[in-house]
Amino acid sequence: MASLSTTSLSFKAPSTRISQVLRKGSSFQSVTFGRFTSSTSKSLRLQISCAAKAETVQKVSDIVKEQLALTADTPLTAESKFTALGADSLDTVEIVMALEEKFNISVEESDAQNITTIQEAADLIEDLVQKKPAA
Amino acid sequence: MVSRSEVLSLCRAMLRAGRQYPHYNLREYTKRRTLDGFRMNNTDQSKVNEAYAEAKAQLVVLERSVKFHSLYPPKTKNIMEVKLQ
Repeated sequence: MASLSTTSLSFKAPSTRISQVLRKGSSFQSVTFGRFTSSTSKSLRLQISCAAKAETVQKVSDIVKEQLALTADTPLTAESKFTALGADSLDTVEIVMALEEKFNISVEESDAQNITTIQEAADLIEDLVQKKPAA
Repeated sequence: MVSRSEVLSLCRAMLRAGRQYPHYNLREYTKRRTLDGFRMNNTDQSKVNEAYAEAKAQLVVLERSVKFHSLYPPKTKNIMEVKLQ
């Protein structure tokens, strides 16, 4: 696991390199696999791409707050689930739409249905933003 | 019986279609109306199939309407879209 992440050369996103290497079936599977491997070497990944993550997470939290009309002082961590914040599935759809517009990306159906926390949304956004200029 | 994920994908498709209007007012209206419509019909489980069929028909109308409205896009930017300075 450790060797996989250290051989990834791209400075910004070791997760996309891992997912490209392991892409076999649906893109969703490789994305989760990428997340699993990166979570075992979390400290390394955080060092490499910490700044981008925090900013994305912050932007995502802002959008979520706006959509769900939360007060400014509700505790909002990266791991908060949307359902815990009072969102039903339609609210989640709305949030994903707002994120698509904000970051100018296009989220697939299968990916969108599996977003439950802010961190997942930020990860997905990072992946898509990475892939976009490459495509 | 339509499944939950079908309903959600229909909602997503409608929202995506509504985003393509060049007109601010139509964009905002379709967004608001689809979300309100889906929320209203959420509660009554027996009418879900009917509501789903209706929404599917509306999606077709929506896509056609987007094409028409794109033929004559507005010439000036809507005041609501201008950022406050």
